[in-house]
Amino acid sequence: MIPAKIENVFIQVTTDYTGVITNIIAGKFAINEFILQELIYDSCPFLEGTLDALSLNETFLLEGMVIFSDEKEFNVDIELFKHEKSIDVLIHNRTNVYKIVDKLNQNRNDIFFIKREIAEKNIELEKLRKIADKANEEKSRFLAMMSHEIRNPLNAILGYAEMISSEKLNTKVAKYTKTLASAGKNLKVIVDDILDLSRIEAGKLALVSEQISIKKIVKNCKNDFKHLKTNEDVALVFSTSKKIPKFVLGDAVRIHQILANLISNAIKFTNKGSVKTSVKVLSETETEIKLIFEVADTGRGMSKEQGLKIFEEYQQNELNDNRIHGGAGLGLAIVNRLVKAMHGKVYVKSKLHVGTSFFVEISFAKTSKIVTSFKQKVIKEKEVNLKGKNILVADDDVLNQTIVAHILKEEEVTTTIIYNGLEAFAKLKAATFDVVLLDINMPNMTGEELMQQKQDFSSLNANTPFLAVTANTAKEDVERYLALGFSGVISKPYTKADFIQKIKTVFK
Amino acid sequence: MNLKNQLELMIAKKVLLVGNFGVGKTSLIRRFVLNEFSEDYISTIGVRVSKKVVTYKNEAIKLMIWDVAGTNADEKIPKAYFLGASAAMFVFDVSREETYVTLEDNLKMVKELSGLEKITIVGNKKDLLSKEELEVVVDKVSLQIDLLTSAKEDENVEDAFMELTAQTLK
Repeated sequence: MIPAKIENVFIQVTTDYTGVITNIIAGKFAINEFILQELIYDSCPFLEGTLDALSLNETFLLEGMVIFSDEKEFNVDIELFKHEKSIDVLIHNRTNVYKIVDKLNQNRNDIFFIKREIAEKNIELEKLRKIADKANEEKSRFLAMMSHEIRNPLNAILGYAEMISSEKLNTKVAKYTKTLASAGKNLKVIVDDILDLSRIEAGKLALVSEQISIKKIVKNCKNDFKHLKTNEDVALVFSTSKKIPKFVLGDAVRIHQILANLISNAIKFTNKGSVKTSVKVLSETETEIKLIFEVADTGRGMSKEQGLKIFEEYQQNELNDNRIHGGAGLGLAIVNRLVKAMHGKVYVKSKLHVGTSFFVEISFAKTSKIVTSFKQKVIKEKEVNLKGKNILVADDDVLNQTIVAHILKEEEVTTTIIYNGLEAFAKLKAATFDVVLLDINMPNMTGEELMQQKQDFSSLNANTPFLAVTANTAKEDVERYLALGFSGVISKPYTKADFIQKIKTVFK
Repeated sequence: MNLKNQLELMIAKKVLLVGNFGVGKTSLIRRFVLNEFSEDYISTIGVRVSKKVVTYKNEAIKLMIWDVAGTNADEKIPKAYFLGASAAMFVFDVSREETYVTLEDNLKMVKELSGLEKITIVGNKKDLLSKEELEVVVDKVSLQIDLLTSAKEDENVEDAFMELTAQTLK
């Protein structure tokens, strides 16, 4: 590259006040553009209007002005000095970094456009996310509502099945009733699963962290499944390692749910052999212990591809699985979500026609203290007798009324049954009751509205315990009922034993 | 008198277009002066000056239009650029909030540097927004917008420069 001569990178000219070039003093930069007796505005249009405004005897600097010369563009700095009759114009700093600046400028432009595109895409994504969230919320709301609506008739089905089975029946009818109750219970599991999944999806799953006994959870599972087991050809085996501490911090209900879902799934697909449930210690630190739960069956097993899909919702491996084995295919999806919520891991190992093992790894915080509240009060039911108690029942559903009346009659309770909140309000103003059982969704006045007017019937029922009998069992619903003054909630569908036990608790 | 001499004797008014980079100042000038538009974006370096003769109230005026390189939000424009300026237009991009969110401060700065009392405010790229979205922008901008333009669709560009010309004569 030939270096530019100094005279080629600047030019100094003199003009009069009208902008006519009167002298070229030095330099040769853009020499062809600066012609004596011609206007300087042709080559320096930015000086038009500027020269007139200059102050006398003061240097004035204009930076980064664009000048064309020989069809090239230059960025230059201009220094101006206004004398009594003339103006000195020095054009210099012909920038040799123009190309680099141009390149940088282009890069800036590229970034600018990418940024704009990303911003636009983000807005679009945000809109789509909102639409998806709304659709998901709607779905969860719909599922929750439908599950609730199903629970009420289900309560009647299970209640009547229980009532019929307590009568003297011939073998055939007893068998039919048992099947009816079993189908009802299966339906309840499905409804509970749907509710659980919608709750998890809506981000409403709140895990508790309390002192729990893993061994006790496994023992409870053992009792539940031994009681439910129908296939004599399948042995149920449970074992827990001795190294497992007595207590860890966790959510007992959800751990039980994980195990119960896995065991129930294994039993469904095992015709002969065994379903073994074991818990072992995987690793341990001073503060944490990682446990591995394994549920192994000798069932039909599955292929690798099936194993990959098994934790998806509504997934059952064979087309007629849900017809033969029941269920909506939500159990493992729920297990998957629950384990993830506990920051754990769930995986499966399986061999076709040999069997399947599900593994769940979860870390638990250790706890040395034994909290006394953990030892829940065991209600000594024998001590409480409902005989002769005066109980008010408000429920608009005749079927539910019949079931409640039947159960309470067996306990020799004096029962007053009314159809809505308004009637209950009148009764409570007129007489004192030992317990009041209130349905929530009643015409005229809901159970909640009635409780809000508690002060109006406090003269006769200030200390009367109220129990909500409802299918609304979401955590926030229960909390709201308790805040309103309910002593507890009997959730539909209920068994006779649950129902009685719940009433007895309020007399403790 | 030949045309060149006529032009030289005409009233020349220096006007400036300022605003963030990428708002379309150069596009507005190109549309107004050359009636051209290009989707390509070439950022302006330094200052380019374009000329256009306009007729305002039966008087021919030569506008010296300074296309000042776009700035970032808090970047200052050199005060020297404003010497002898008769009017200035602040341009923002209606589709980019960052170009008008500090409009009040930017305008205050331009007024201080130029000594001009009134600055014409123009929101460009109106073709990128719907009528409803434009209404939202107008609500968001605390100051009175003089014109919403589209250099691409040639909407209100002439009017914006005529408003600027009117300012030069006040």
